[in-house]
Amino acid sequence: MFVDTVVEDKALHKPAFLIGLSVAVLAFFFAFNFTNTIFGEFLSPVIGNPEESGLFGRFVVSFVLSVIFVLNLLAISFARLKIQILIVWFELFLLFLAFAYSFDLKLSFIQSRIGLMISKGLFTTIYISAVSIVIATAIAIVGAIAKLSNNGFAYAIASFYTSLFRGLPLLLQVYLIYKGLPQLGFMVDAIPSGIAALSLCYGAYMTEIFRAGIQSIPKGQWEASRALGFKSGLILRKIILPQSIPIIVPPTGNQFIAMLKDSSLVSVLGIWELMYLAKTLGQRDFRHMEMLLTAAMIYWGLTIILEMIQARIERKYQQKT
Amino acid sequence: MSIKLGFKKSSIAITALLLSIGMTAKAGVVYDYIKNNNELMIATDANWAPFSYINDAGEMEGFDVDVAREIAKRMGVEARFITPAWDVITSGNWNMRWDVSVGSMTPTASRSEVLNFPAVYYYTPAAFAVHTDSPVTTLAGLNGKNVCTTAASTWEMYLQGNLDMLDAPAFTYKVTPGTITSLVDGSACLDDTRLGAGVRNDAVIDSVPMLQNAIDSGYPIKFLGDNAFYEPLSIATDKGNNDPELDAEIARIIAEMQKDYTLTTLSMKWFKNADGSSNDYTVAY
Repeated sequence: MFVDTVVEDKALHKPAFLIGLSVAVLAFFFAFNFTNTIFGEFLSPVIGNPEESGLFGRFVVSFVLSVIFVLNLLAISFARLKIQILIVWFELFLLFLAFAYSFDLKLSFIQSRIGLMISKGLFTTIYISAVSIVIATAIAIVGAIAKLSNNGFAYAIASFYTSLFRGLPLLLQVYLIYKGLPQLGFMVDAIPSGIAALSLCYGAYMTEIFRAGIQSIPKGQWEASRALGFKSGLILRKIILPQSIPIIVPPTGNQFIAMLKDSSLVSVLGIWELMYLAKTLGQRDFRHMEMLLTAAMIYWGLTIILEMIQARIERKYQQKT
Repeated sequence: MSIKLGFKKSSIAITALLLSIGMTAKAGVVYDYIKNNNELMIATDANWAPFSYINDAGEMEGFDVDVAREIAKRMGVEARFITPAWDVITSGNWNMRWDVSVGSMTPTASRSEVLNFPAVYYYTPAAFAVHTDSPVTTLAGLNGKNVCTTAASTWEMYLQGNLDMLDAPAFTYKVTPGTITSLVDGSACLDDTRLGAGVRNDAVIDSVPMLQNAIDSGYPIKFLGDNAFYEPLSIATDKGNNDPELDAEIARIIAEMQKDYTLTTLSMKWFKNADGSSNDYTVAY
């Protein structure tokens, strides 16, 4: 981020801001009555029975909560930036865990099925996403070059393709390919149908990303290469594409992450991927939240790994330029 | 589910398509394919305990699954399961993606336009259930209320008042709901019901063994009134790839399984009442 040379005082260390914040937090906790929760029970020595404590109890509970909240913020504000980030992440994660805990989950149930979720569900999800990513990237390179060419046919076909596949919901494409192709005599099973739909849809988005990346290289680069006697194919491969890759990488990484999660749409075809198993495994025992939350954590973990890989690739290309 | 590219069946699908132009498909195409391939592809639901569901080991299990395995065994081929959404199965045009549906399907006039029903293998009652705190005490009390069920199911047809079952006992429409909530995954209805009476729906209609399974799992629901109707449940094959030889073989095997009490044994194994006694749903009421 942009680093300013003028360092201002932290807002939290200004008394006016601190008081304003405290009042706002107090009002928030007072508005959402927390008296009948675990906090009310905890403060029962002061306010007596939480149910009968009335406005006084409600005020005491919200006052204590807001003091804890503001003190926590103040304490964090004195730490170094990296430590601050770590602590805030950790605290938000704890809040998420508390949210999950409130569902009264049965951990032994998750334990008995997580093996299957990973060995079958996660494997299929990664398999489908990985194959789709490779095909989509290939489509995108061809599509971008076609969209930039002077050939009327190539441009028309590529722009029709991007327009159509960006214009239809992915779920609709999944159904069209799965149900439509057999009517034409091409019997395509569920997994190839799903891969085809994901590749075509994301290929269309990535075509536009690649095209924009190539176009963002100044015209002077083309002209200079021409002046040195390069042919256009060679210019694209050796001069333009290497320069556009740092521009293409961040949005492409976003597409990969989005595709990983959109691969859950192929569960409608009965493919045993992560989302499908999350929906079905809890069914016999009517424990749906357990499996859904487990799948949520697996998707999240996968996304974090992809984000880290993306950051690494970005750093690599930044060093080069 | 193993991963395979689906092109090996494409040639036979094209053959079947060509044959079906101008004349009905040649007898035996599907059955010959099953025999040559040594594999019966069975479509069933993975979301409908105790009829068919995925167990801890990742295998299909349940009453329908056991019946399907037995059919494959008596054909002398391996059983393989595929789990498309229910509305994808009932809409026909399978294009040989799978050979039969062993998924407790009720033969109806509208379904018989795209599917064949070679053999009825058991009969279950359908019933309404409400939250235990529900103020509704009679079926008539559900008139004008919000009732939840599976999309494209016979229960949905019943709620809509256009249930056209074939060879079924007479019934009357006892409930005229104000709103019908149809979910792709009908078991999700119960998750809405347990939130409380009238929160997301007022009642749910489903098969009695399925509702009993939910009650056994601790869901705060109870049966409401008498059973709504009784439905015959059949094996289904694709009319698009009409194969009389396959249909005849399935009819023969089911008759045999009725005669040697295999179906009865399976029904007693899977369908238990609240008091632990078993139900034989294989005899017509």
